[in-house]
Amino acid sequence: MQICRIIQLTAAEKGKYFRGWFSMIDIRNVYKEYGTDIVALKNINLEIDRGEFVFVVGSSGAGKSTLLKLLHMDARPTRGSIKVFGRDITRLKNREVPLLRRNLGMVFQDFHLLSDRNVFENVAFALRVIGTPPREIRKRVPLSLELVGLKDKAFKRPDELSGGEQQRVCVARAIVNRPAVLMADEPTGNLDPNTSMGIMKLFHEINIRGTTLIVATHAKELVDHFQKRVIVVENGAVVSDRERGVYINAH
Amino acid sequence: MHIRSLFYFIGEALKSIARNGWMSVASIAVVAITLLILGSFMVLNYNVTLITEDVKEQVQIVLYVDEEASGEDRLKLQQKLVGHPQMEEVRFVSRDEALERLKRQLGDRSYLVEGYEGEDNPLRDSYELRTKIPEDIAIVAGEIKEYPGVDYVDYGSGVVEPLFQFTGVVRWMGLIFMAGLAVTAVFLIAHTIRLTVYIRRKEIMIMKYVGATDWFIRWPFVFEGLILGFIGAVIPIIIIYYGYNTAVAWAQTNIYFVSLVSPEDIIEEMVKVLLPLGVILGVLGSSISVRRFLKV
Repeated sequence: MQICRIIQLTAAEKGKYFRGWFSMIDIRNVYKEYGTDIVALKNINLEIDRGEFVFVVGSSGAGKSTLLKLLHMDARPTRGSIKVFGRDITRLKNREVPLLRRNLGMVFQDFHLLSDRNVFENVAFALRVIGTPPREIRKRVPLSLELVGLKDKAFKRPDELSGGEQQRVCVARAIVNRPAVLMADEPTGNLDPNTSMGIMKLFHEINIRGTTLIVATHAKELVDHFQKRVIVVENGAVVSDRERGVYINAH
Repeated sequence: MHIRSLFYFIGEALKSIARNGWMSVASIAVVAITLLILGSFMVLNYNVTLITEDVKEQVQIVLYVDEEASGEDRLKLQQKLVGHPQMEEVRFVSRDEALERLKRQLGDRSYLVEGYEGEDNPLRDSYELRTKIPEDIAIVAGEIKEYPGVDYVDYGSGVVEPLFQFTGVVRWMGLIFMAGLAVTAVFLIAHTIRLTVYIRRKEIMIMKYVGATDWFIRWPFVFEGLILGFIGAVIPIIIIYYGYNTAVAWAQTNIYFVSLVSPEDIIEEMVKVLLPLGVILGVLGSSISVRRFLKV
């Protein structure tokens, strides 16, 4: 009887087995201090897996934005390690940072659209500046705009669109390069509740298609509605982290 | 760098130049003025040098023989001149030859000296003397003046020295003037690029967020400075070309005897010197701004 078998894995199987070895994002003992007395984040430990949908909630100034900034390499932590795709990004060389960012889409509260060009060009801009061939741009931008439901507004200027539509353009721009992770910092802060719900549903759909979502927000109703993992940050520390959570106020 | 990116950078740079309007014009103007002054001094310098060399070569003593001198004196004089240790060349010009020469110089108007041939010739026999070293001419002239049978000697005293002095002054003035203007040009370009960086800060932020490399963000600004400097160099080249052509045409109709550097040589030299200088000024200006104001 054969007890021990050595199995040769195919490439597809390798992907399946080894993917679980590391989390997509692994934050260990991270501190972020500004100067000597301002502590923005203290002892953060988080793991976010591939394909997760995570809400980061907390009051203004609690450290949500700082957390996203660290992931996006907008700032470097004072201490601790942050592994993204298994690599410690705190040790990244400056010239490697852009390459990391191409895999991490970002959406902001203020839309940051370029008012001197139309929707198509705004989305195409993200591809153009990383040297994507025009043929590829013509193919990918419409796909991205279709996903966010703005295919027929491609040639409108941002100021001709509603707030919700403008934010959708930002989402299209953030995902047009097919990043593994999409992060949003207060994406609905400037939008009314109905429009906000639309944006969240869009995020949900993007998540279903395989992109990991990290959304920092303090829109309670939305968080409660979606029943996703909720990480609560207060005063720079994680005070709660639960699956299928609801928005709880630490105070 | 990919050719597609190159087009993108140049396109963005041109857009910026158009958008910055008067600042771009001012930057181009200062580069143009700086290089125009440099170019003008260069043109002047070339020609002064050429004329100096020319004059140096033409430096000679003309010795006029005393009409009353006897044949013996004349023979002695010739022997003495030929035997002089510092003499390079001794050429006798008879009065008939001198008259022929004058006729030739007058060209169409040679009828003016008609009827002065033979005994009526008002000109004198002379010697054209060349010293081995042009600078020795004054001393040699002083010595031979005392020889018997000499009426008087003539040499281009005081022509070469002032010319040399003039060239020196031109060079220094040009350099000082230029240095000041070059600094202004770099400063103005730096300022223009800074303005561009400010206007485009939102674009730059988005580029950073979507993962454009630092150099991809910087290149359009570098190109903007480069283009400003390039245009700033082309303008004086054109001005100098037309200006110099006009000057040469004027000189050819009004002063026959000066030799000038040909316009083709001048323009070649201008392109070789001014174009790279303009580009260097432009890139220098933009580099300052890119380094100081573009935090990427």
